[in-house]
Amino acid sequence: MSRTRSLVTTSWSRRDFLRISGAGAVTLGMMMVSPSLLARSRPWARHDAIMELLDGAEPDTSGVTLELPSVSEDGSNISLTVRVDSAQENGEYVKSIHLFAPDNPNPEIAVFHLTPLSGQAQIATRIRLNESQRVFAVAKLSDGSFRIGSQDARVTVSGCLTDDATYDSSGLMQARVRTPRSLRPGEVGEVLTIINHPMETGFREDADGNTIPRRIIHSFVAELDGETVLRADFHPSLAANPYLRFHVKPNGSGGTLALEWTDDEGETTREEAELSVS
Amino acid sequence: MSNMMMVAWGGFVIGLLFGIVGQRTGFCLTSGLRKAWTEGDGRMLRAFALAMAVAIIASHGLEAFGYVNLQDSIYIHRSFSWLLFLLGGTLFGYGMIMANGCGSRALVLLGSGNLRSLVVVLCIGIAGHMTLTGVLAPLRLWAAELSSVTIPLPRASLTGLAASWGLGSTLALWIPALLVASGLLAYCFSHGGFRSSPRHLIGGLVVGVLVAGGWYVTGYLGDDDFDPVSLNSLTFIAPLGDTIQYLMLSTGLSVRFGVTVVAGVVVGSLAATLASRSFQLQGFSSPVRMARYIAGGLIMGIGGALALGCSIGQGLSGMSTLALPTFIAVAGILLGAWLGLRGPLRLPPL
Repeated sequence: MSRTRSLVTTSWSRRDFLRISGAGAVTLGMMMVSPSLLARSRPWARHDAIMELLDGAEPDTSGVTLELPSVSEDGSNISLTVRVDSAQENGEYVKSIHLFAPDNPNPEIAVFHLTPLSGQAQIATRIRLNESQRVFAVAKLSDGSFRIGSQDARVTVSGCLTDDATYDSSGLMQARVRTPRSLRPGEVGEVLTIINHPMETGFREDADGNTIPRRIIHSFVAELDGETVLRADFHPSLAANPYLRFHVKPNGSGGTLALEWTDDEGETTREEAELSVS
Repeated sequence: MSNMMMVAWGGFVIGLLFGIVGQRTGFCLTSGLRKAWTEGDGRMLRAFALAMAVAIIASHGLEAFGYVNLQDSIYIHRSFSWLLFLLGGTLFGYGMIMANGCGSRALVLLGSGNLRSLVVVLCIGIAGHMTLTGVLAPLRLWAAELSSVTIPLPRASLTGLAASWGLGSTLALWIPALLVASGLLAYCFSHGGFRSSPRHLIGGLVVGVLVAGGWYVTGYLGDDDFDPVSLNSLTFIAPLGDTIQYLMLSTGLSVRFGVTVVAGVVVGSLAATLASRSFQLQGFSSPVRMARYIAGGLIMGIGGALALGCSIGQGLSGMSTLALPTFIAVAGILLGAWLGLRGPLRLPPL
């Protein structure tokens, strides 16, 4: 019995051996060309929200950089920076940047509509991730083409216990803004904003098991003397106390930068800051 | 310099000073307890008590002058698991006796060439993160949910308790702090040997100031409207794991306070050892001893993660806020150390 078995295992012909090693070589070859295969495998294709935005167009997989920490212990507040390597001028500019967290209950995170006044297609904000996943950023350019970038983000359970199921409503909708003191002509200035808001997703329950109703800031507009610099739509996957870092490149002698936030209950906050160019 | 950079460098400086002082004075809770309970020498334990008293006064002083709000620290958390705090503290205290020193002491010894401590440090770091975010985390969260209690005070500390008895905010801040600190100081200075030992006096004083320094760096220098840093001070469980993680993933992580503290302690201790020409490589004399240190490190990591702090994290940083849950964790640490030194689970001396 043992003899026959050993016969079976050793009776591979030379041809069998060649065939098997040939298959191995093909596999190895595929692994070596995998970067281009991966690019063609279009990892976003199984996410409806992204496919809907692309509407049949084939995005360029270079030119969009997403920065996220490799590991986060607190999925409710993760810093994200997105940058599109493109000019931001009248002829050619990035029209919008769309952020997606496909494995969140609400895949959309935010949409940023930019203009030539934005100066630079770079936005920093803070997001929520329910679980480890690949975050996508899609940029739509003024010529109608798309670019896409993605970054893996790992989320672990929180290192610490958290409580505070309810929020303090006293400072609700209070905003802070930091703008550059003065800019040289043609210089791109950085604007930082943060507004107190729970960005209540509508998915959470309070201590008694009742669903806390959704209440988020859904829109943000930045205007320079009435002209749009940046317009943003926020979704529940944006972290509480929405934070934004964006850019502005004033024409001529500057002007008044007006920022306005609106939440689900129609409450608005408006902040103004002078931008001087000298 | 951005506030993040200031916090990182501030942490490094605090770590550096801790490393130098730890190396020169031998500041250590484990040896303090061992000497007090088995050798009848209470000076090192009093150095630890002095550090606690100084940390309490200095931290409350920082709050009184508006630099920090201690209530933002993780220690003053209204909801906590009494079971995990007690169990974690006990495990930590026992592990500390097994490995002959806690996490901070192991870092100081590592800087002076003690490779046994490297094993302990790695075991604490890995076991701590296993418990906080890794394979043991689901178990921790399950147990935490079963035994979670919420303290019915707006601020879960002695200060909050005093305020609930109707004391004004200034009195509520100072009266408990001064009462506890003066009790500790009376314990320290009633001992003649301690009074006349500069080594122990300096060790306790400097470490106590460094704890308040941690609050100042993260709470005041780290304060930024747009980019707040979480309020932290000296602690050596999560930061050991964070340091290991940072070494492996630094391109995708920003450097944190705890990580630069850990780096500073090793560098400070190394510098002090080299300056005094006492650097000496040391390893394990037997595999049995190595196994005991590994087990001690793992138990400390798990226990410290459950109790949200170690002998320094809860024992000094936590105590400096007078947080009520901290008292449970510290009682656990003392119980665990007693079990290992004098109790029924007594370990043979090393």
